[in-house]
Amino acid sequence: MIEDVLPDIAESDLEAFFQITHTIYGYDFRDYARASVLRRLGTILKKYGLPDVKALNQRLLKQKEFFETFLSEFTIGTTELFRDPSAWVALRKQALPLFLSTSQIRIWHAGTSTGEEVLSLAILLTEMGLYPRAQIFATDIDQKALQTAPKARYPLRYKRTYQENFQQVLPDVPFSRYAYEEGNELVFDPQLLRNVRFLRHNLVSDEPFSRFEMILCRNVLIYFTPELQDRVIRKFIQALVPGGILMIGTKESLFWCKEAEKKLASVNNLERIYRRQG
Amino acid sequence: MSARPYLWVIGGSAGSFTPLRQALLQVPYDPELTLVLCLHRLRQARFQITDAFLRLRRWHLSEPDDKTPIQGGAIYIAPADYHLLIEKEGYFSLSVEEPVHFSRPSIDVTMFSLIQAGWPRAGGILLSGANKDGAHGLFMMYQAGYFTAVQDPADAEVPHMPNAAIALFTPHQVFPISTLPHLLAQKPIPS
Repeated sequence: MIEDVLPDIAESDLEAFFQITHTIYGYDFRDYARASVLRRLGTILKKYGLPDVKALNQRLLKQKEFFETFLSEFTIGTTELFRDPSAWVALRKQALPLFLSTSQIRIWHAGTSTGEEVLSLAILLTEMGLYPRAQIFATDIDQKALQTAPKARYPLRYKRTYQENFQQVLPDVPFSRYAYEEGNELVFDPQLLRNVRFLRHNLVSDEPFSRFEMILCRNVLIYFTPELQDRVIRKFIQALVPGGILMIGTKESLFWCKEAEKKLASVNNLERIYRRQG
Repeated sequence: MSARPYLWVIGGSAGSFTPLRQALLQVPYDPELTLVLCLHRLRQARFQITDAFLRLRRWHLSEPDDKTPIQGGAIYIAPADYHLLIEKEGYFSLSVEEPVHFSRPSIDVTMFSLIQAGWPRAGGILLSGANKDGAHGLFMMYQAGYFTAVQDPADAEVPHMPNAAIALFTPHQVFPISTLPHLLAQKPIPS
């Protein structure tokens, strides 16, 4: 049970926090949506028994190795296999068929977290016979998540949700084709990751590292201000080949990105799947 | 962004949905008023609640997307499986961080964000419900000087949530559900 917290955070401490994380560690959180930043900080203070953000700042200054732990707590890694099944159905039926005759399908999954969505994607590509031509780049800023994802092993208690989602997306495919139980874990077929590379990448500060036929970035933009959303979506547009697909979270929008109006056409507006024009 | 609308945050879970819907049908449209509904419901219940409320004319009714500007004359329903946060810039943020009191959306989370955003004119209401989510949030709103009201537990189908709030503090108003339309039609003013 998580009890909630309402920390009293001084603006000056917050400013110092932004400076330390940016100038020492290279992570600029200034354009993260403020309400969530305050919540994460409150949770971290409580978890590590720190009285205030000033104390957190001291720890970040003195204990460099603490930063990775901090970053892992600060970023929100919630994900699941085929989260929002209807969105994946739309991807399968309306977007992926566009690549049936494409020789090379380069895919960027930004904000991959513990990897369940990469597996979701790999499963769909496999079922459609597209996997051999796909090259998936799965990125995250959280190093700990990037160590977890390649294992493709999850606590067995997730099985029920994952299997239910799976059956909604692929009703005719047995879940056991891709996943099995081993001890207390749900293990996915390692073959699903043979064309996947996990890389560390910071959407805020790093440029795209290639051009892509498809970009998936779901429930990452929600933690950004409208200004940062605009910047990141423009990066995505630039990184997409003409005709390339962008999929964002079902409650995220392109509302704050003017360029998206010109450059992206809707494939399925409800499920937030778009296609780069021209 | 223009002046912030008056804003009610209304929390509830089991036993709140039907009476709240009945009450909303009676609340006269007010372009300066915003209602934010944070109700516990099933994870994948996308659209169903908005459909049920469709009979409400004039009021702009939606499950807001992330970064939707908060407007007057609108009723917003926290989307299933997301926390709904209020930002001081005048828009919503969504979050998929861990559930609070097993709940996402969590009423506490929305209420805390309103306090931290320093929303100028707002009030909090807690209805029938089966856990204590919202009690702490409403108490914090009370302490921050916002108007607070709780459904009379004797009147609530599931009194746990109102009782949890009343155990923490004495809200400004404890009301029978029949007076909810009247309460909502008032603009919340600082206590």
